[in-house]
Amino acid sequence: MANSATLTTDSKQTWGGGKSPFSVSYGKLMMWIFLLSDAFTFSSLLVAYGFVRFTFTGSLPNTIVKPFSHLSHNFVEEMQKAGMFVTERWPSPELVFNHFPFLHGIHLPLMFVSLMTFILIFSSVTMVLAVEAGHRMAKKEVENYMILTIIGGAAFLGCQAWEWSNFITEGASLQNNPFGPTAFAALFFIVTGFHGTHVLSGVIINIVIYFNVVNGTYEKRGHYEMVEKVGLYWHFVDLVWVFVFTFFYLI
Amino acid sequence: MDQIEHLEHTESPANMKKQIINTFIILTILTIVDIALYFILLSSHSMAKNILFVFLGIVKAFYIVSVFMHMKFERKFLVWIIVGPMLFVSFLIWLALTEADYTFDSRLF
Repeated sequence: MANSATLTTDSKQTWGGGKSPFSVSYGKLMMWIFLLSDAFTFSSLLVAYGFVRFTFTGSLPNTIVKPFSHLSHNFVEEMQKAGMFVTERWPSPELVFNHFPFLHGIHLPLMFVSLMTFILIFSSVTMVLAVEAGHRMAKKEVENYMILTIIGGAAFLGCQAWEWSNFITEGASLQNNPFGPTAFAALFFIVTGFHGTHVLSGVIINIVIYFNVVNGTYEKRGHYEMVEKVGLYWHFVDLVWVFVFTFFYLI
Repeated sequence: MDQIEHLEHTESPANMKKQIINTFIILTILTIVDIALYFILLSSHSMAKNILFVFLGIVKAFYIVSVFMHMKFERKFLVWIIVGPMLFVSFLIWLALTEADYTFDSRLF
């Protein structure tokens, strides 16, 4: 059976062997499967969030603070007294995430997290431009775009660290939450922390890839597919942020 | 082995750079729309508002996956391997959200 004639006819078919039936390399296919499994993990976290969130059937209180207005030092206590932060009701995100670095004492709801979203979208774009430059074997361009991507990722991590420290300073932890239900703070730390860990590992992998590009590893290999695979991971991180942003801050 | 190496490179259209920039503009506009809608609909707490935001999130996800992650240029079979299981996940999300309010009493601690 296994003569050369049958082998050549078989390889012409999709599943005949000798080539990838998906027209992608093994590594890239496995990256897709890994991202699918990672999407399951994030989905389970977001399902848990949605489940806990929807147990609180009482609607969110309407906002009483105007954007750009002055924030007093005991804003949280005032909101607790006004009945905005109570354990029976899920707090309105715009009253919780209303700080901006260097603009202390001004009510800027969701502005900082919007900035973080733009940073991540921007670093996603530079990543895809690096992949595109890799297709053209333009080593210098890949280097520049990788650097921009790494800076974007690091900037995002810095923003998240600032937001976390701010949230912790106000008294939020896994077991304690001055803004309302304990689950709100716990889920915030777990989900954004898990996403932040992904960004951190993405930045580290990007740095490794950057040095490989500089050393000409992919130039010698003849293709920049490794940049593509890391790009897939990096876009996935951006993708997860789209949903974290939607569920945690907008809804 | 040579054959496999040759197949690895996914065909990339010549106007890829233009597509990337267009997608970037679309994502930026959608994010701005998201934030604007958040403030316009601040005092409303309807389910329609939640569905609207999730819909906008899915539109953004579509652009990221199809252009940035090259999904548009992959084989249909690979697309369904990834998208198929996610449809079941959305069913799970729907189940969790519709059943959640029955457990409210157990949460008041």
